Amino acid sequence: MKRIFKKLFLILAVLCIPAGFFIEHEHVVFLWHKMPSVEVVFGALGAFLLILATRVLAFFALKKEDFYD
Amino acid sequence: MIEAVPPAFIFILGAFLIPLLKGKLKQVYLLVVPTVAFLDILYLNPDMSWIYHFLGYELVFCRVDRLSLVIGYIFTIIGFLAILYSLHTKEDGQHIAAFLYVGSSLGVVFAGDYFSLFAFWEIMAVASVFLIWYQKDKESLNAGFRYILMHIFGGCCLLVGIIIYIGSSGSIGVDRLEPGIAYWLILAGFGLNTAFIPIHTWLPDGYPESTITGGVFLSVFTTKTGVYVLARCFAGADFVAYMGGIMAVYGVIFALLQNDARKLLSYHIVSQVGYMVAGVGVGTALGVNGGIAHVFNHILYKALLFMCMGSVIYMTGRRKLTELGGLARYMPVTCIACVIAALSISGAPGFNGFVSKGMVISSAVEVHKPILELMLILASVGTFLSFVKLCYFTFFAENPEIKSKEPPRNMQLAMGLTAFLCVFIGVYPQALFDVLPFYPVHYHPFTLSHVIGVIQLFMLAGVVFMLAKDMFAPHRATILDFDYFYRMGGRGLIWVCVAPLSRFRFRLQLSSSRAVDIIVHLAKNPMMIFEIPAAYIYLRITRGLRYVSGYSSAEMYNENLYRRPIGVGVLVAIILLFAFALIHFIF
Repeated sequence: MKRIFKKLFLILAVLCIPAGFFIEHEHVVFLWHKMPSVEVVFGALGAFLLILATRVLAFFALKKEDFYD
Repeated sequence: MIEAVPPAFIFILGAFLIPLLKGKLKQVYLLVVPTVAFLDILYLNPDMSWIYHFLGYELVFCRVDRLSLVIGYIFTIIGFLAILYSLHTKEDGQHIAAFLYVGSSLGVVFAGDYFSLFAFWEIMAVASVFLIWYQKDKESLNAGFRYILMHIFGGCCLLVGIIIYIGSSGSIGVDRLEPGIAYWLILAGFGLNTAFIPIHTWLPDGYPESTITGGVFLSVFTTKTGVYVLARCFAGADFVAYMGGIMAVYGVIFALLQNDARKLLSYHIVSQVGYMVAGVGVGTALGVNGGIAHVFNHILYKALLFMCMGSVIYMTGRRKLTELGGLARYMPVTCIACVIAALSISGAPGFNGFVSKGMVISSAVEVHKPILELMLILASVGTFLSFVKLCYFTFFAENPEIKSKEPPRNMQLAMGLTAFLCVFIGVYPQALFDVLPFYPVHYHPFTLSHVIGVIQLFMLAGVVFMLAKDMFAPHRATILDFDYFYRMGGRGLIWVCVAPLSRFRFRLQLSSSRAVDIIVHLAKNPMMIFEIPAAYIYLRITRGLRYVSGYSSAEMYNENLYRRPIGVGVLVAIILLFAFALIHFIF
């Protein structure tokens, strides 16, 4: 069941990528508003950036649960 | 016709009747009070003001306009739902604290002057801390003390700012402020309640230690009254807008690393309040409407999240994600409510967060703030990832050790009603748009590009989560935040007071006592003033200083000892008088 769900999710994710090429942003103000499916890039890049940020933070600030005790 | 009263008084005065009631009657009463308050707000109109004259100033207890009304509506609605959720709580003190908390929050919202605003502000701080202390364990007692200390600091900043403002302007009305010392002090006071970085740590420190039902109340009122007063006084301030962006990103980064479910939710309060603050800081009609719409929606889904996690903790006794898992089969109602709340907070189409987040992000684009837009989009990705993590590790991850069942009916009913409102506003946002401050609202959330854009954002973030699930897995650890500096600083201060400062005090006291001793001896026999230096030198060489301070009056005053003639004393006195006279006449 879990495998089916995962496969379905991946198929939907791949299918939604070209959808951006058929629609236009209502308010084109910045450069990235002109790029089709830019949210795909934001989603993936954003997730990677957050993983990186959490790794950096964990390196400096991750301590034992009873640190203040 | 009964005139409407300030809704704050309904809750505050209603709190005092709680101990007099028992059983079902008390439960009915607890639900009637917020209902009456909501109906009271429906009857408020801008002509009412409830003005009282005090020391030459006008205290306004009921400032009614679209901004205060929309906040009043959602506060009373969520007050009802939170009280429904906490109906099974036997301790009257918790209900009293909750009523005072809700009432004072309404007092802040409808206050038209700084005096009454400040009074209600402090009642809010004191009432809310009891919702932490009622957990009655060591961690909650300590966290509550840290919470109240920070709020006292914020209250002092606010009070000083108010005094300076009144002194310079002569007005006590709550209105937009001009830059100056009062501006920054009042901003600091409001900002502490709104969880500005770095004075936000009271929130993730105190909220997870609160009672199960107290956490639902706490998630709503303090931070949202902060946003409300920012909308009143600081709308359009660039600093506020970018602080909102920083809060949004900061909150999600810390939330992604949390193991404690309620601490994760607390950091998300910081993040989501960042959206509200950003909208208010942008200052346009769309920005303020977006910020206030996000206040309305966030109250619903955040309270729902705290209700769901509270139910999990109540039924399992566990609060850490490393100890939870597989609860979907045992707690399906809670699971569905939590998924609805997670989709709402993430901003999925069809849920209320989608509407208000879109407004805030669009307002950043409207005023040409690209960095702010990117920060808010990044925070959206992080929010989605956090709640995939929360829902997965609480309800869907394998954990054969855990068994549970659904919480009491009142908790389930409260969760169900709140979830319904999240979906209702998500599907029919006009109901919310009709009550926003700037009417009509020129925003259409269900455009094709917006819907598909959000779906794409979440799909790709979800793919990254699937591929890197281990990186998001919770760990048994704590993440140090800015409170590290003042907790360690506080310990250092206590060590300085207990050890070196105390030793210094003791030495100072000893030296002072010795000095007084010597002066007393000198006063009894002034001629010693010539003998002491000689004796000092002699004793330093021979027996040490102790002989001098150990002079006893009995030893000194020995009638058989030779004494100098009294004329020597008179001569010394005449010489001294001559010297004083010389100095006086010359100078």
